[in-house]
Amino acid sequence: MERTWVERLVAKPELGPFILLVLELIVFTAINPDFVSALNISNALTFTVELGLIALAMTLLMTSGEFDLSVGSVFGFSAVLMWTLFNTGLVVMPVAFVITLLVAMFIGWANGMLVTKQSIPSFLVTLGMLLVVRGTALYATQGFPQNTWRADNQWLAQVLVGDMTIFGLRLYMSMLWFVLAALGTHYVLTQTKVGNWIQASGGNANAARARGVPVNKVKILLFMFSSMMASFAGIISSIRTQAANPNSGTGYELEVIAMVVIGGTVLTGGRGTIVGTVLGILILRLMRNGIVLIGVPGLAYNIFIGGIILGMMVLHNYLERRHHAGT
Amino acid sequence: MLKRRNLLSAAALMPFAAIVGTAKAAGAAKTYYWISHGGPADPVWTYFLSGANTWAADTGATVKTSFHSGDVPSHQEALRAAIAAKPAGIVTTSPDPGSLVKVVDEARAAGIPIINFNTPDPKANFQAYVGADLGVVGKGWAQYLVDKKLVKDGDFIWMPVEVPGATYGVQEAAGAATVLKPMNITTEVTDTTLDQAEVINRMADYLTANRKKIKAIIGLGDLVTGSIKRVFDQVGVKPGEIPVVGWGNSTDTTQEVLNGYVNAAQWQDPQATSYMALSLAAMASNGIPPGFNIITGALYGKDTAGVYDKILSSK
Repeated sequence: MERTWVERLVAKPELGPFILLVLELIVFTAINPDFVSALNISNALTFTVELGLIALAMTLLMTSGEFDLSVGSVFGFSAVLMWTLFNTGLVVMPVAFVITLLVAMFIGWANGMLVTKQSIPSFLVTLGMLLVVRGTALYATQGFPQNTWRADNQWLAQVLVGDMTIFGLRLYMSMLWFVLAALGTHYVLTQTKVGNWIQASGGNANAARARGVPVNKVKILLFMFSSMMASFAGIISSIRTQAANPNSGTGYELEVIAMVVIGGTVLTGGRGTIVGTVLGILILRLMRNGIVLIGVPGLAYNIFIGGIILGMMVLHNYLERRHHAGT
Repeated sequence: MLKRRNLLSAAALMPFAAIVGTAKAAGAAKTYYWISHGGPADPVWTYFLSGANTWAADTGATVKTSFHSGDVPSHQEALRAAIAAKPAGIVTTSPDPGSLVKVVDEARAAGIPIINFNTPDPKANFQAYVGADLGVVGKGWAQYLVDKKLVKDGDFIWMPVEVPGATYGVQEAAGAATVLKPMNITTEVTDTTLDQAEVINRMADYLTANRKKIKAIIGLGDLVTGSIKRVFDQVGVKPGEIPVVGWGNSTDTTQEVLNGYVNAAQWQDPQATSYMALSLAAMASNGIPPGFNIITGALYGKDTAGVYDKILSSK
């Protein structure tokens, strides 16, 4: 029997996060109408898309049943590496950019090899890699941040983070990269054979192997993609903030995982949604922005953030149960 | 014959004697511990660290350094490890007021000179303190805003800080309150974290939401004060539109002062602070107890910012 459009809508895993986002927008706008002002939207989106780039890659990785806790340190390390290569005059900026992405992919490859070939849980492997990469960045720089002031006249900096004003909204090029990355990862996950392999690897790896899915290869490539996207985000952020600090990106891994899970991707793998992740990214980042906009006391910030996340997870859980009842 | 044999024996023993001599010399090089509550990549701490390394190079002593990012248990653990190693001296900051009372007593009981630098803690039995008087610094910022007529009775001042509750912010805010409270000037301290992108993001959000009521900003830490230009540019606030005072131990801030984003900034002599703290520890280790504190720092404006910009640029 064919299902009605309402039943089809209820069956979508993205419905829960979508309702949460709409609720959030209504509540914050009702309390402070400036929440939807052009200036605030511009500010809120700026950092959101940088974390969002990492979350998109993490969605694919988590769908395949793995984590990457090293993304925050790769974020910080990459900015330091690229600017060190460039500022010391070793190479021109585009070459420094490519080298940095390649180094990040190597880090991802090492993660993938250790997870798949040595059968060590990705939680432990990437936790170790987090420390190695962060420590390397700190030791190599002796803690001193790299100077990025010379980025203004670089065409690559303009391509990556140049800004423009559209209908009063100041938007950075990173928004374009985020939209392209979201469309690309959504297409791969939902429309291609690779997408099926990713979901099969996370759902039941042994069954997937028995059906000829190259599970290890898929996972290694996803670890490489995850590191590369973290590196890309770190470089973009360093140009925008004019700071390449070896300590930047600390704690981003947990926020990114929270974005992915709130969006509806299953923590244990097997099911993932890019649309949901985009909603999850917006939910968490706009919540941080909205909390400040509505004027909660400065030092109570974390109480509200934690409380709202817990409330959201309860609501999310309720909607998920409704979703399963609807399928 | 006997003479020749002795000569040969002496020649054969020479390399061993050289090794023993070298080992003795190495033993003569004293070891000191430099322990900080700061973050390893906090720009200002890199200058404090640089001062410690310069002192080690100048004196030939070994200086073992560590950062603890405001983590009190980790800081205490490092101090106890240092005490166990029986060094010639320890210099340490205070992560939280009163947090090191017991461990400082342990160092004193073990006969190890222990000097406090950067963040004072009068409750602990340190032999001396080197650094700014943070209460006086906070008071100085507030007095500057009042004296220059940048704030008046009943105004509101925003005080962003990287680590709320840490010694530096607490003492600075308390110092500022001695001037601001009698004038009914209200303040709010907000948490920005130690991550540069997050600092800018949170500060931009707060400024967007409260732009109309903020009459001045006091940056309680170096990262927040050094982020003012980027925050103002993002939110569309012109240099000088909102008066700003705060810390000025990074080139970000010296440039902000030179370009009018920050009215006045506090210099803490970071390299000199480390250097002098280690010197006092060495002096105490040689039997001369320091009976005084060394107070560092100066508030600088646009006219003298170039001096500090030059010092910091030549790191």
